[in-house]
Amino acid sequence: MLALLVATGFGAALGLAFVSHAPNRLVSGAGVSLVQALGSAPGVLTAALLLTAVWLAAAVFTRPTARSHVLVALASALLIAMLAAAAGTHAARLAAGSAPLARTALGAGFWALLLLCALALGDALAAMRWPNWAQALAWAAAAAPLGAMLAFGVLDDVSLVKEYTTRREVFGAALVRHLEIVAASLAATLLVGVPLGAALHRHERLSRPVFAVLNVLQTVPSIALFGLLMAPLAAVAAALPLLARLGVSGVGLAPAVVALTMYSLLPIVRSIDAGLRQVPAAALDAATGMGFTPRQRFWRVAVPIALPALWAGLRVCTVQAIGLAVVAALIGAGGLGAIVFQGLLGSALDLVLLGVLPVVGLAVLADAAFSVVARLWVGTQPGALPGALQESQR
Amino acid sequence: MPMTRSKLIRAVAAVSLLLLFAGSNVFGQAAVRVGSKIDTEGALLGQLILQTLEANGVKTENRLQLGATKIVRTALVAGEIDIYPEYTGNGAFFFADEKNPVWKNAQAGFERVRGLDAEKNRLVWLQPSPANNTWAIAIRRDVASANKLRTLADFGKWVSTGGKFKLAASAEFVERPDALPAFQAAYGFKLTQAQIVTLAGGDTAVTVRAAAEQTSGVNGAMAYGTDGPVAALGLVILDDTQHVQPIYAPAPVVRSEVLARWPKIRDALAPVFSSLDTATLQTLNARIALEGQDAKQVAAAYLKAKGFVH
Repeated sequence: MLALLVATGFGAALGLAFVSHAPNRLVSGAGVSLVQALGSAPGVLTAALLLTAVWLAAAVFTRPTARSHVLVALASALLIAMLAAAAGTHAARLAAGSAPLARTALGAGFWALLLLCALALGDALAAMRWPNWAQALAWAAAAAPLGAMLAFGVLDDVSLVKEYTTRREVFGAALVRHLEIVAASLAATLLVGVPLGAALHRHERLSRPVFAVLNVLQTVPSIALFGLLMAPLAAVAAALPLLARLGVSGVGLAPAVVALTMYSLLPIVRSIDAGLRQVPAAALDAATGMGFTPRQRFWRVAVPIALPALWAGLRVCTVQAIGLAVVAALIGAGGLGAIVFQGLLGSALDLVLLGVLPVVGLAVLADAAFSVVARLWVGTQPGALPGALQESQR
Repeated sequence: MPMTRSKLIRAVAAVSLLLLFAGSNVFGQAAVRVGSKIDTEGALLGQLILQTLEANGVKTENRLQLGATKIVRTALVAGEIDIYPEYTGNGAFFFADEKNPVWKNAQAGFERVRGLDAEKNRLVWLQPSPANNTWAIAIRRDVASANKLRTLADFGKWVSTGGKFKLAASAEFVERPDALPAFQAAYGFKLTQAQIVTLAGGDTAVTVRAAAEQTSGVNGAMAYGTDGPVAALGLVILDDTQHVQPIYAPAPVVRSEVLARWPKIRDALAPVFSSLDTATLQTLNARIALEGQDAKQVAAAYLKAKGFVH
C-alpha cells in the first residue's frame, strides 16, 4: 500500500502542476511544477521536504514494525505541512512580482500529494491500532501546522485564502445558515420519522405501501424536488398568513427543510424498523412476565435495544443532509451552496472550493462524532439486556 | 414530582403562543425583504438597494442572490420578497409582448412595463438607471482585427460567407426569440448547432472565459452591455447598429403596499440608480468578477464615494 502511494506521489510531484498562476481571477492559469515552486522556498524547507520524501520511499523497503509505522505517520504529517508551506511561499513570491489582479491557485499536483500523504497517514495509524482518541489526536496534530500557517498569513497569497479573506462575513453567515438547515431538517426528521417508524412496525400491512412511497421519493432528483415544493408551499403561505409570518414560504428555508426531511425519512424509518425487528421476543416476553405495561415494554425494553440501529440511521441522514443542503441554495435557502453556485456561475473555481471543502469537512466531522458517541454510549450492536431487565435477573 | 398531563399541555400551549407572538411581528413594522438575481450584477444592485434603504432608516431583510429571473420574479409576485432590481426589457418577456417595438426605446419601454405591472400585479417600477444591460455578441480581439469586424453587420456577412466562428451562450440566449434569433434575422446569418456551445447558467463570466481560452474551439461569447471583464479578457463587443435588442435598463421593482408603508424608498433609490450608467456598472462589475471583491464592499465603497451614504 505504501509502495503504491509513494510511487503515485512521485508521479504526481513530477507530472502534475503544483500551483497555477493566472493573470486574473477568471482565466485558467499556467502550471508551475513542484520543482519550480521549490526554487523560491527557503533552502531549509527544500532540504527537509526532499529528505522526508526519500525517507518515505525508503520505508517502502523496510519491514513494517510498530516503530516504522510511527515514523511513516510522522513523515506524512510533516510532508503535508511542508507542501503547504512551499505552496504558500511560492504564491507570495509570484504575488510580489506580478500585477495585483494576478492569482495563484493550488494545482492538481498539490491536491494529489495532499491526498496521498493523508492516505499514508491514515494507513499507518490503522496499522498501529491506536485507540480512537489517539487517532483523532494524531489527525488534529497533522492539521495543526496548516491552521498555524493560515493564522500567521503564510498562505495568504494563495487564491483560495484570498477568496475567503474578501468574503469572511458572507462565509461565516453561510456556514451558520448551512448548519441551521441541517439541524432543522434533522429535528423535523426525528419528529416525523420516529413515530412513523414505530407505527409502521406495529401495523405491518401499512409498511409495504409506505416504503414504496418513500423509495420513490428518494429517487426524485433534489433540484426537482426543491422546485416542485415551491408552488405548494407558496400557496400554503398565502392561505395561512400566520405560517407566512413564522417563515414558511415558497423560497428559502421552508422548501429546503421540507425536501431534506423527505429525503431523510427513508433511512430513518428503515433503521427504526430494522432496530425494532431485532428486539428478541424472549426479552419482550420476560418484560410482560414482570408486569410491564405495553408502553413500558416499548420505552424501557424495545427502544434501548433498537437504539444502535436508530443511531446508525441518524448518522446516514445527517451526512446526507449536509451534502444535499448545498443544492438548497438554488431556491434561495443560502448556506454553503450559495458560495458554490456563485463560484460556478461566475467562473471562479476557487469560490467553488471554498464552498465545497467545508461541506466535506462537516460531513467527515459529523460522521466521526456519531461514531464516537455510538462507541461510548449508544452501542454499536443490539446487545446486552437493558438495565431494567438485568437488575431483575439478579 | 413528575409533571401531570394538564400541566404539560398548559406549558406547551404557553410556549407555542410565545413563539407565535415572537414570529408575528405584532409589535413592529415588518422589514422590507430585498431580493436579487444570483448573478454578479444582481448581487451588486441588490446590495446597493439594501445599503441605501438601511442608510435611510428603512428596516431591511437580506434575501439577495435568490436564483434565476423566474424564481425571483415569482417570489415578488407571490409577495415573498418586497423589492428587487429587474430590467425594463424583461417586461416583454413577462407580458408576452416581444413583437412590440416600444421596448427598443428606453423611456417608452419603461413606461409600458410600469403601466402593465401596476395594473396587473400591483408592482411599482421605480426610477431606472441610464445603463443598457442588453445582450451582445463579443468576439476575440484577434479574430475581429484579422477580419475587420466592428459591427454585427460586418460579422453577419463574415460568418455567412464561411467565417470560422463558435459561440458560447446560455440556453436562454439561444432560444429566446428576442435574443439570438432576432440577431440572425436582422443581420442575415444563421449559426448551425455545431457553431454553438450551450451552457446552463446565464452568467457571462463563463462564456467570456471560454472565448478567451478558446475552450472547445469557442471564439465568441454571449455578453451583456454592462459586463466588466470583456475588455480585460481580450474580447470586443460587436456593435448592434440596427438596435435589434430591446433596452434593458436596471430599475428597482417594489410591491405597492410596501411602497405605501415606506414612501421614502422612492426618493432614496432614485439618485442612486440615476448615477449608474453603463460605464460605471462595467467598472463595478469588473471589481466583483475580475478582482474578486465582495459585492457588499464594492457597493459600500461606491455609495460612500458618491455621497449617498455617510
